[in-house]
Amino acid sequence: MSGVAGPGSAPGAPVRDVVVVGGSTAGATAMRELRGHGFDGRLVLVDPEAGTNRPPLSKAVLAGEDADASVLMDHAALDVEHHRTAAVGLDAAERVLRTADGGAHPYDALVVASGARARRLAGPGQRGEVVLRTLDDARRLRDRLGTAGAVVVVGAGFLGLEVASAAARAGAAVTVVDTAPPLRRLVGDHLADVLVRQAAGAGIRFRQAAVRLSGDPVDGVLLDGAHLPADLVVTCAGDEPAVDWLAGTGADLRGGLVIDERARTSLPGVWAAGDAAVVRRGDGVVRQPFWANAVAQGRVAAADVLRRPVDGPVLDPYSWTEVAGLSLKVLGLLPVHGPPRVVEGAVEGPGLLAWGDHTVAALGLRSSAPRLRALLRRRGDDGAGSGASPQ
Amino acid sequence: MRIAADLDRCEGHGLCVDQAPEVFDLDDEGDLVLLVEGEVPAAQEAAAGRAVDACPVAALRRA
Repeated sequence: MSGVAGPGSAPGAPVRDVVVVGGSTAGATAMRELRGHGFDGRLVLVDPEAGTNRPPLSKAVLAGEDADASVLMDHAALDVEHHRTAAVGLDAAERVLRTADGGAHPYDALVVASGARARRLAGPGQRGEVVLRTLDDARRLRDRLGTAGAVVVVGAGFLGLEVASAAARAGAAVTVVDTAPPLRRLVGDHLADVLVRQAAGAGIRFRQAAVRLSGDPVDGVLLDGAHLPADLVVTCAGDEPAVDWLAGTGADLRGGLVIDERARTSLPGVWAAGDAAVVRRGDGVVRQPFWANAVAQGRVAAADVLRRPVDGPVLDPYSWTEVAGLSLKVLGLLPVHGPPRVVEGAVEGPGLLAWGDHTVAALGLRSSAPRLRALLRRRGDDGAGSGASPQ
Repeated sequence: MRIAADLDRCEGHGLCVDQAPEVFDLDDEGDLVLLVEGEVPAAQEAAAGRAVDACPVAALRRA
């Protein structure tokens, strides 16, 4: 693998032109941090859309219209030159970003936060597949949920369970299908069992089978070849980094744009953050496309662009979901296996749970990220979890 | 600049407190407390704006 390049310009040369591709959570954080650190040079944003705060899309936005406007980000206060077009290429040697409108944007530093696209399962030409990634997707899905009697959700991760919860709340008969047991690979056996029981209590059914979309337009799914009809099929089968526009630039693109602990890519003067990025670990890469990592990487990238000390990790393992009214906030490594230690409350929630000294979770309990951080720090200091976990 | 908080939407993640501890707090129940009434003081505006942007559930907005 290529070595990690040093900061873009010659040492000591001031960073004057920063281009950010993508104005959602990772890019917006990078821009906000750059200005917060006092960067007063030219800040160019390339994004065909307004930046979007995504976590509410599968929650508040599916529940009602009043959240729609609040998920769109407002960069007006950041003195940003926003070009509403897509990035299409890069001249890494000359340090020029090219855009779909024919623009060429020279940079001292480029932050790639071009996000990801929803993975689709439809065959070539097959119409009617629904995914949830953008505000428009969420609005369309909300309209369809109002009239769909039978809904199939393909993919039993956080997003799939959140969409299933919204569909059940809207009165639909909901089936979640996946080739793997729901949530288990993501959060581990205990939390998966509790959340799946909660979903089942709300009438959500689960099927484990090989899945294909049936019909054109889509009229259901084939489960191990048997047809399960549906008025609405929503694919929640993960996402793919939107970095194909970097092909041929020499960038390290193993499963995403590869970054190191300072959010630097293998190209000089190019950083990356958020769902477009994967983090190098040993010989491999780690991809954790969560909101908190987009924030962490945006922060790190901004600090390193300005050659300031990097004061945090590029992976901040905080994630959350809500399944049929039961909330889960987790800080630390996932999945977690085996029974937790109950710090407070009940093992099935509401409660504060811990696995060793590496993971804490608030299940059905209102608890803040700072509080979970403090709890995890304390457990680390106490050496909690070094002994056997009580039943 | 003023801050409008939708307390029904707030899930108590507390990331606004990280960004602007002089403007936001969480009480013992994890409920959001605005420490500023009306106009945010000029010295806190930047931090308050960062907090609005940092809310993962879009419960905060500039009013």
